[in-house]
Amino acid sequence: MMRTPNLAYVGSVAAAILVLASLPFWASQAVVFVAGVALTSALFALSWNLLFGYTGIASFGHAAFFSIGAYFTALMLRQSPETSFLLVLAGAILLAAVAGLVLGYLILPRLTGVHFAILTLAVAEVLHLSISASRFLGADDGISGIPRPTLRLGVFALPLQSHTAYYLFTLVVCVLFTGALWWLCHGPVGRVLKAIRQDPERSAFVGIHVTRYRVLAFTISAAMASLAGALTAPWTQIVSPEVAFWMNSAQPMLNSLLGGTSAFFGPVIGSLVVAVLNYQTRTLLGVSELVVGGILLGVVLLAPGGIASLARRRPKANAGTLHSAAADCAPAIDAGGKV
Amino acid sequence: MSELLYSLLNGLSMGATTFLVAAGLTLIFGILRILNFAHGVFFAVGAYAAFVLVGGAAQSIGTYVLASAGAAILVGILGYVTDLVVLRRLRGVEGEYALIATFALLLIGTGVIKLIWGSDPLVASPPSALQGALKLGPALVPYFSIFMLATGILAFVLMEWALNYSHIGKVAQAVARDPWMAGVLGINVPLVMTASVVVSFMLVGLAGGLMAANQALTPHLADGYLLLAFNAVIVGGLGSVRGAFAASFLLGVGESLLVMLLPNLPGVPIYLALIAFLLVRPQGLFPNPNAH
Repeated sequence: MMRTPNLAYVGSVAAAILVLASLPFWASQAVVFVAGVALTSALFALSWNLLFGYTGIASFGHAAFFSIGAYFTALMLRQSPETSFLLVLAGAILLAAVAGLVLGYLILPRLTGVHFAILTLAVAEVLHLSISASRFLGADDGISGIPRPTLRLGVFALPLQSHTAYYLFTLVVCVLFTGALWWLCHGPVGRVLKAIRQDPERSAFVGIHVTRYRVLAFTISAAMASLAGALTAPWTQIVSPEVAFWMNSAQPMLNSLLGGTSAFFGPVIGSLVVAVLNYQTRTLLGVSELVVGGILLGVVLLAPGGIASLARRRPKANAGTLHSAAADCAPAIDAGGKV
Repeated sequence: MSELLYSLLNGLSMGATTFLVAAGLTLIFGILRILNFAHGVFFAVGAYAAFVLVGGAAQSIGTYVLASAGAAILVGILGYVTDLVVLRRLRGVEGEYALIATFALLLIGTGVIKLIWGSDPLVASPPSALQGALKLGPALVPYFSIFMLATGILAFVLMEWALNYSHIGKVAQAVARDPWMAGVLGINVPLVMTASVVVSFMLVGLAGGLMAANQALTPHLADGYLLLAFNAVIVGGLGSVRGAFAASFLLGVGESLLVMLLPNLPGVPIYLALIAFLLVRPQGLFPNPNAH
């Protein structure tokens, strides 16, 4: 369903972008660093939710694509720093898109639901173990000392070495791709994907090529996850096999479900909230997990539609209770997984 | 040859451990249709609890087993509380809510462990009676491996018996097949569900307690086991105890042999095999008759 963007909606998005853009000019370096990480994790979460919230398939191995982007960028920046950074990003996107396409065509016609989830988990674990064992990729130590690039556009060059410059570049890329995704999700393709999520069988019956659209969503999602990884590598300046570990696959799920999977910006909200929580509790060992876990549990039990659902007006009075809300805004994990 | 024998027995022992974790996982899935992400963290809780109970290292097999039983009871109580506060509210709700709620539990559990014990590894050692190794022809087999193997098999036999021959087990199976119909027939469905959660947690607490003696304890102790157990549960067929048992041993022995044959790529072939298996036979070795 196409939601006409109202003033408050557009206004809050614009305000959020403005606040994020102004961050380097008044906040501390540490806060800007956290914000940069939050931006890429928001992009990562959005890519995951294109699959889950829109198409109804849960990938448990999205870290695989994230790590493709991260390692590809790290290698390119270390080995051939002269290559245009935009080209590197494009390469990261393309590489993951091809991987997503091949995997998608291999898996999606056969498996959905829980089995798809576990299979993607296994694929990511293969990548994780292979990276850990590969001396070329730095094995367990990963690749460190990744230089930040200079952006060359024709005649003029934009150095991105400084904290502020690279942060703003990340913001611009994230906003652009989020915008593109918004357009995709709110257009015909988005409607088809939602139809598939709600009922794959009926979608097929009205002539939708279900598998083809699922593969399409998986490919786009893989490419975006890879882009998020590609942007992260020069920001943190180190990549390690941890980025392909399943805990990293859980991150976008956590952020999306916390923010709300049925709202487009839910994953973004979730990512920002988790980033703030992590930052506030960073010095207290164990408290970070406790607080994030506690809030997550609270959200699931009390407001299962995620944080975003709290802001949305609901016709039903009992919207806050688990069963009613779950019924209308829950993309089932095993949608289409009926065996 | 001795190397082969050694890795075979090592794999069997690993399979037994995996089964102890996978058993609870598959039990909860079979009856509640919930894939419990937090299962691994309760393994860690069991390990830490046993560690505290024996004060680092158990003196004898008796205290070691008692401490593990204590850990099982403690984790069982935690399971009851978890069911009361979380799982009970998730019945009849879409699957991914349960997934995310148990993931939240995983985070909370990890946080609590870090708060109490910190994140530095604690090192325990098995009781002296289990520290040696048995000379089996040319191979040396650690007593501890034999002990774990025996425990795993014992747990399986007990579970199989309880599920298929005892009254409670038959009732549980009825609930797994059709909770609504079971309720109509006068079975106290919520009670059965709670009981299965408690049993599942006790199993994983026991596994944690037993395994505590053989490794360094960290808050992320269970991450690796959880993944293995997930794989075993899937390969075996979701909800099938028999399947989890067969798959645990298959994966354990397979992994052990592959590590011997291809020492440079630990774990990779087993996951590739898992992927191939899932593509060919997603329903697992022992398909669950109750799956819709």
